[in-house]
Amino acid sequence: MKHFITIISLLAALSWMGCRKETPIDEDGLLITTRAECYVSNFELLGADFQTVRTKNAVIDTVACTVDVTVFYGTDLTHLYPQFTLVTDAKLDPKITGFTDFSDLTNPRTYTVISGNRQVRKTYKVLVTVQSR
Amino acid sequence: MRTIAVRYIIPLFCLGLLLTGCKDKEYAIPAPENAFQNDCIKRTLGPNVAGLNIEFAYAIALPATRGKIVSAQVEASIAGEAATYLEHRSYYTNGSGEDVGIAIGDPSSNEGNVTRVNFIKDTNAVTLRYFYAIPRSAQGKEVRFTFSAKSSTGETVSYSMGPYAVSRMDMVLDLPVKNGDACFISVADMAVYTEKEASANPDKIDLVYLHRAITGVTFGHALVSPGANAEYLPDVVLPPGVNKITKVRKTWNLRDFHLARLQYGIYIDDLDFEQLDMNGSPDYVLNLKSEAGTWVETADGKYRAYIYMNKVDDAKKSATISMKRYTLK
Repeated sequence: MKHFITIISLLAALSWMGCRKETPIDEDGLLITTRAECYVSNFELLGADFQTVRTKNAVIDTVACTVDVTVFYGTDLTHLYPQFTLVTDAKLDPKITGFTDFSDLTNPRTYTVISGNRQVRKTYKVLVTVQSR
Repeated sequence: MRTIAVRYIIPLFCLGLLLTGCKDKEYAIPAPENAFQNDCIKRTLGPNVAGLNIEFAYAIALPATRGKIVSAQVEASIAGEAATYLEHRSYYTNGSGEDVGIAIGDPSSNEGNVTRVNFIKDTNAVTLRYFYAIPRSAQGKEVRFTFSAKSSTGETVSYSMGPYAVSRMDMVLDLPVKNGDACFISVADMAVYTEKEASANPDKIDLVYLHRAITGVTFGHALVSPGANAEYLPDVVLPPGVNKITKVRKTWNLRDFHLARLQYGIYIDDLDFEQLDMNGSPDYVLNLKSEAGTWVETADGKYRAYIYMNKVDDAKKSATISMKRYTLK
């Protein structure tokens, strides 16, 4: 009788664990959640010396999907390191892998923010302005 | 049988464990070795750059019954600069925390590769410092040292140190630069020139130092290639022929210990220059602060350098720079 109860309890525990839904993850190994929020909350731009090149905080328009950033006079735009702060669970495409060339001011770089549930995508334009004399 | 084990054997075993486990080992003063002995440590860290010292501490001792030390010497595989010396004093720290030196011999003499101290006091134990002034002839080579000492009975001991690689880098410290005056920097000569001197050596000028306080923009202290866009050389009149385009890249948090002489134990070594990738670097850097640095590659690709800003003075529009240079070709 005693052994029978133990086996039943074990089976119940196993079946409970076995029926649990697997947590969904995307191709990057990141958790897919229920959050639908999709925006950039902060933006930083670093120079070759990993110090900021921004003259003031970047202006982020979450409706127009633009990031306006003014950089110091003489900034080398070919070698900048962008840093995005996103809403919880969101991710960025393309990923930031190193220094990026922002020197083509007529064709601003674009980055897409993808929401936590991977259903909403918003493409932001990074508009760089160099401080003028 | 089981009852006996439980009643007697297990408690006895536990008691035995308790007694043996808590016994303290008695300390015994180590017996001194009855021999003439020596030992050595290298005290300096980082790359061995020509013009700097490699410092060692050489300890020698023998029991009083075996005589006294009569001489100590160091033989370097490459003769050091004239400034090379073996300390002839033994130091102790007094009650005020000051190191007081007691001369145990005559000041050392250099004969070729050998630096020697002859003892004039009865000495049985001493630690002598050895300062090897790295010569330029050793750059890119390896240097070894043989420390040895002689006792009054004719006994000798020796200790080998090395090999130590000597860097290929050159170094120059504390060059004053001033806006509109001594502002032409030559990496080839590792020197700063005035306009008149720059006119005489136009092919050697790699960078121009300038300071500008322009309303509305941040310019400050800058290192600009003479061949850079004139926009970055406002109101600068370049001597004829001064037009090189030098690659430069601003760096922060790289306070090389040799150049900065601050508490940060960071060293730039040959490998850093060898692996440096200056592709796509600009030809100017603006807004340099004190303790910032700049990687440099000359237009002909012959030299790579690191220029460190030791001190900047906004009011006097001047700065003090130090430089490490590596020859690529």
